[in-house]
Amino acid sequence: MVAESVAVIRWGEVRRQAGDPGVALAFIGAALMLGLFVLYPAFRVLVYPALQDYLDIPKSVRWMQAARNSMVMMVISTLTATLSGLIFAFAVTRPDVPGRRFFRNIAVLPIFAPPFMVAFAYILMFGRQGLITKTVLGLDANIFGWHGLWLVQTVAFFPLAMLIIIGVLEGINPSMEHAARNLGADEWAVVRTISLALARPGIAGAALVVAISVLADFGNAVVIAGGFPLLATEAWFRMEGLADLKGAALVVAMLIVPTTCLFLLERYWVSRRVYTTVTGRGSRVERPPTHPVLKWGTFLFCVLMSLMVGLVYFGVVAGSLTAVWGRDWTLSLTHWRLAMDRIPTLWASVKIGAMAGIITGVVGVAVAFLTSRRLPLRHVLDFLAVLPGALPGVFIGVGFVLAFNRPPVELVGTPWILALALAFWHLPMGYQAAVATLKQVERSIEEAATNLGASGMRVLWDIYVPLLRPAFLGAFTVSFIRSVTNVSIVVFLVTPGNIVATFAILNMIGNGIWGGAAALTTMLLLITFASVGMAQAVVGRTMRSTPMG
Amino acid sequence: MKRLIAMGLLLALVLVGVGTTQAQPTRIIVYSALPDLETTMVNREFTRRTGISVEALSVAAAGTIAARIRAEKDKPRADIFTGGSRDFHIPLAREGLLLAYKSPAFAEAKVSPVYIDPNGFWHGWYLGALAIIINTDRWDREMVPRRVPKPATWDDFLRPEFRGHFIMPSPITTGGGYIFVAAQIFRLGEDRAWAYLRALNANASQFTPTAPGTITLLARGEGIVGMQWAHEGIGARLAGMQPLETIVPPDTGFEVGAVSIIKGGPNPEGAKAYVDFLASRTPQDINAKFGYRYPVRADVPVPMGATRFEDLKFVKYDLAWSIENMTRVRERWTREIGR
Repeated sequence: MVAESVAVIRWGEVRRQAGDPGVALAFIGAALMLGLFVLYPAFRVLVYPALQDYLDIPKSVRWMQAARNSMVMMVISTLTATLSGLIFAFAVTRPDVPGRRFFRNIAVLPIFAPPFMVAFAYILMFGRQGLITKTVLGLDANIFGWHGLWLVQTVAFFPLAMLIIIGVLEGINPSMEHAARNLGADEWAVVRTISLALARPGIAGAALVVAISVLADFGNAVVIAGGFPLLATEAWFRMEGLADLKGAALVVAMLIVPTTCLFLLERYWVSRRVYTTVTGRGSRVERPPTHPVLKWGTFLFCVLMSLMVGLVYFGVVAGSLTAVWGRDWTLSLTHWRLAMDRIPTLWASVKIGAMAGIITGVVGVAVAFLTSRRLPLRHVLDFLAVLPGALPGVFIGVGFVLAFNRPPVELVGTPWILALALAFWHLPMGYQAAVATLKQVERSIEEAATNLGASGMRVLWDIYVPLLRPAFLGAFTVSFIRSVTNVSIVVFLVTPGNIVATFAILNMIGNGIWGGAAALTTMLLLITFASVGMAQAVVGRTMRSTPMG
Repeated sequence: MKRLIAMGLLLALVLVGVGTTQAQPTRIIVYSALPDLETTMVNREFTRRTGISVEALSVAAAGTIAARIRAEKDKPRADIFTGGSRDFHIPLAREGLLLAYKSPAFAEAKVSPVYIDPNGFWHGWYLGALAIIINTDRWDREMVPRRVPKPATWDDFLRPEFRGHFIMPSPITTGGGYIFVAAQIFRLGEDRAWAYLRALNANASQFTPTAPGTITLLARGEGIVGMQWAHEGIGARLAGMQPLETIVPPDTGFEVGAVSIIKGGPNPEGAKAYVDFLASRTPQDINAKFGYRYPVRADVPVPMGATRFEDLKFVKYDLAWSIENMTRVRERWTREIGR
């Protein structure tokens, strides 16, 4: 991405930059670090099974079934999640849909939730003892299975689609709509030929990001999918149930093929096309009023979806406060007392999340700075920094176990293995945020400094570090939230001394301590919100959405 | 100022890392297949008595722990594997991953030698029996009007009325699930057993990855009948208004819940003290009172509401065969049942 801005490499400058010992050393350091924590674990996973093991995959009925199930879930969940995201984004970017600010805020809530929370809350709401299905409607509904997972993934991932599509819709110049209307187009024609047509790359990009997330989703699948084999849960089953590292490596290798394809599509096809209209953003023209049918239709849809999101939070909080869900609705604090025992796991989550956040921030900013230099091989560095976006969490988890459980680099058993795995998995977000910020920096400032004799490191320290502070804090925040709520990586790497909250919650669900699990989840949410609130107060601006895997 | 912030962050990063990785000699690391509650209570008592602190990872599936121990065999991270049927400890001993130790405390406590490995690789410290669990709420509402008799044998699980309402733990990750499958093979012979299991699969709504998961779903009415350890069912009913009934059928399977020392762990002396400690009254009493598992000590009272262990009718369980064929049976399960 950065690379495109400079078409020709000027060798004189290459020599100058490479000759700067600070920059050259930093470059080598960053390359080594990415090689060690991104390429090496991926390599270890892929070469762990023998070639014959790969060739035998089609013979395994269960794996083919898991692969098929994963593909079906990906297609249907992506369709519904992207469509919901699109409708939501449309409503939120219209000036006259009532409650749009509220909708926008409520829709991002699932992003803060640990990945199993939607599934867990919906069992409480729509299961056989569900508040809505049984108590309110008197139905006997079985939510376990593919249909439950479908519902859950739709609600869990539509915010991702929404955030991406909003960005595109906001970039469409309203004067185009005015023009179309003046030329006699009716409401539907305007939406179809302008809003939807121009948003097409955004929608496609959103769909691809959602598809990657659905494929790799572990937390929801493990809680609600029941006996429905999927690739993401099968890897866990193989490794944690059968001690079959080879099987686990094979399954995650199967998972990486579609995610990498989707990722490359997103990155090199969708994000390259420019669909922005000539004037782009910044137009002051008011958007024309929305057709009443469209306005109230989308409004109703948003109310419904907001309700579904609200139920997730309501289910978890209420579940932590009622004596026995579905049987005894008395208010009770017993579950909270039970969860108090696990407070050390919350502390471990915050500690490891902070470590991961700092590493993501520092490495992301440093690599963005280096790839903006005219150095040879910077494309390689750029690719390595975005690559983890294509890797599913279970893949990273298995990779780190295989790569770092013995010398020379032995990290299993220390908090570092968790922090590093989480940090490098979230690196693409931190990196891309830093790249975007760097692009806005006028190069002449640097040239002036250089002409005055400042070294590369001096330029970095005095010019770029202050300018990149918001990028660092943004990367830190995203990485922190997602590390604190992560399940798919920690489930493989947690050790007795470093039990994090999401692992403890999943264990409580497995042990049938649902009230306690709900209480601990509520505490985790409070901590996440408090941390984000603090980070926002520091940065003083809202966080930008970034695609995530 | 900016420099200060950056330096501060770096310093924090370094400090956070240090202080968590040092090993303490007076500490042992325990992998437990028992729920958090019992694990924590037993460990607290151990620390109180010996001064050795305990770091525990409690995962409610013995298969998961055995898998971890295998994955870490080049450099074992834990000292103790406690809980879970001896079926999971014996293969580890055969693979050379356990440390032999004959605990004098178990001999002193007059624990029957049947429950202790003659080579000292594992010590059984509690017992359990597999049972039929019924959600009586749903039973009364849905099965009583249809005049379905309550299941009393394993074969009764195959009644067409139970289609989609049967739940049991997965034989891949849990000891109970595996012992159930082995018990069917001992009861029916291999071929008929697999026909039975396929028919059972047709009735099953889920195979839960952990043992307590089955009880939770049954207690919540996600299923009507299920298979689980009797103690889990009794425990759930007594713990909080769960509408469960527990029936131990004839030809049932049983577990000898074991403890073993992981070879090459960081603190073998502390591990030996832990094994000795489990022979004493308090941990067995905790496990009986809060986990409703049968103690191996005759002088510890049996859990509330349970039939005496000696009065149960067990299938002729061939331990050696079940261990020998564990991998093959689980692979066949994966192939034929597929979930």
